[in-house]
Amino acid sequence: MAEPAQKDAVVEEIYKKHEKIYPREVHGFFAHMRLLAMTVLLGLYYGVPWLQWDGRQAVLFDLPHRKFYIFDWVFWPQDFFYLALLLMIAAFALFFFTTLAGRLWCGYACPQTVWTELFMWIEHRIEGDRPQQIKLDKSPWNARKIRIKATKHAIWFLLALWTGFTFVGYFTPIRELWHDVLAFNLSGWETFWILFYGFATWGNAGFMREQVCIYMCPYARFQAAMFDRDTLVISYDAKRGEPRGSRKRGVDPRELGLGDCIDCTLCVQVCPTGIDIRNGLQYQCIGCAACIDVCNEVMEKMGYPKGLIRYTTENQMEGKPTHILRPRIVIYGLLLLLFTSATLYGIATRTPLELDIIRDRNTLYRETDEGLVENVYQLKIVNMDEKPHRYRLSIRGLPGMVLDADPNPVEVPAGSVQEETVRVRVDPVELKRASNEIYFIIEAEDDPKLRREEKARFLGPVL
Amino acid sequence: METTHGDHHAGGPDAGLPAIQQVVSVLWPSFLTAGIATIVTFTVFDPLQIAQCMGEPGLTRLGAYSTGFFVFWLFAAASSGLTCYFRRPTDRIRG
Ligand code: SF4
Ligand code: SF4
Repeated sequence: MAEPAQKDAVVEEIYKKHEKIYPREVHGFFAHMRLLAMTVLLGLYYGVPWLQWDGRQAVLFDLPHRKFYIFDWVFWPQDFFYLALLLMIAAFALFFFTTLAGRLWCGYACPQTVWTELFMWIEHRIEGDRPQQIKLDKSPWNARKIRIKATKHAIWFLLALWTGFTFVGYFTPIRELWHDVLAFNLSGWETFWILFYGFATWGNAGFMREQVCIYMCPYARFQAAMFDRDTLVISYDAKRGEPRGSRKRGVDPRELGLGDCIDCTLCVQVCPTGIDIRNGLQYQCIGCAACIDVCNEVMEKMGYPKGLIRYTTENQMEGKPTHILRPRIVIYGLLLLLFTSATLYGIATRTPLELDIIRDRNTLYRETDEGLVENVYQLKIVNMDEKPHRYRLSIRGLPGMVLDADPNPVEVPAGSVQEETVRVRVDPVELKRASNEIYFIIEAEDDPKLRREEKARFLGPVL
Repeated sequence: METTHGDHHAGGPDAGLPAIQQVVSVLWPSFLTAGIATIVTFTVFDPLQIAQCMGEPGLTRLGAYSTGFFVFWLFAAASSGLTCYFRRPTDRIRG
């Protein structure tokens, strides 16, 4: 992919003025798969925020209260670690599947592709297929053209608004949001994000389309680095297809000295990124397999075997054996498994309790009237559980330490944070150093498994 | 890429880019960076506390998140924009 000639083509491609692409509609096995993926993913996106669970929204990234709800799980900012793990899982899943089967993500699952497909599907219903669309765009503005274009944009607009509304519904409870919409009672920021996301959807799926993949997508830029000779890619079998040329049906191409490609250019017409797959693997190809479907149709009509364009590997094309299990795949796969099980294990065994200790900043220590040394601490008890608990506080670390905490035990309501100022006193003879390690322990009265132990420093004079 | 391209256009690597693509190439990466920066910052710090420190106690959390995001976007865009600016060959700046 990095030959100089290719590079020049890339440069030219990047600086070339953009021409609108009118992909022709396709039917066939892969088109069905894409439709299925699109239906499932869009169904999930638009549907999930409406699900209820335990009397609350099942999936809610509650920014105002800084809590993430995913069905039974509640995540706090303290669980940031899991977010990091989740990102690692996503990254390795992407590496794994890209090495295995190329740009599966781009062709079937990327939101850019999915919404573009949806918007194009609407466009096809209203404006007709490729030839009608080209004709319509060339024709002068008249009542009919205005009517068709206005209908399309009105539907796109409503859909984009609904998409923006759904997006915000992941962050503020969607049912309340809907009431606010009906009552014209949205807050400024909610309105702003609905319009912002809606506008982005409309622009990306309606206009930018393949340009997002070609110019803006970071993944599209580096995915080639994960390809090897055994990666499943979509390619044209040049050995079988060339020399290309038109011919009548029923004529034996070998007699005319022709290959199997009838040069109907349908594969170019269906391509959403407007490339010719017959020129070899190109970075613009998003692996949507539209060209496979359409070419198979042509092959069938001509009575030739299918698969002139097909999913294959570089090795297979050259007649060499293809290896599915290769070091990269094994390593990516193992890492993926490792991170996934670590995350699941971590979440399953998580203690929904957190204890933060902050030393009083104003005084290092104080001597009491009784001649004891006293340190003051600010404790923050975070009860991440979905029910209230009473927690008993205790300390250990220095002989004869006294904990002065009121109240103790502390009652912390479900899913909230309780702050408490505590004092710790000790006889100075016990202090061997200026800074000593002590431990705060909290334990729920109704559940000894809900227990946390945190280290703190006790400061005092050295005698 | 720059060298092959420089042969065709005397103006340097970015001169051939349509204005809109230049703008997108600054705004888009900074948008991504700002998104990540917002998530990381606000999981570690409570936006309300930051807002209070800055003397804006009236701000809601959603407002604080949004403002934070746009501030990050602004900074990241400024950085991307400066990179673009400094990558221009000096003769073009003089001429
Ligand atoms: S070349 Fe084929 S698989 Fe690649 S983007 Fe175009 S139609 Fe889709
Ligand atoms: S669709 Fe198939 S037969 Fe038609 S031009 Fe493309 S490769 Fe050739």
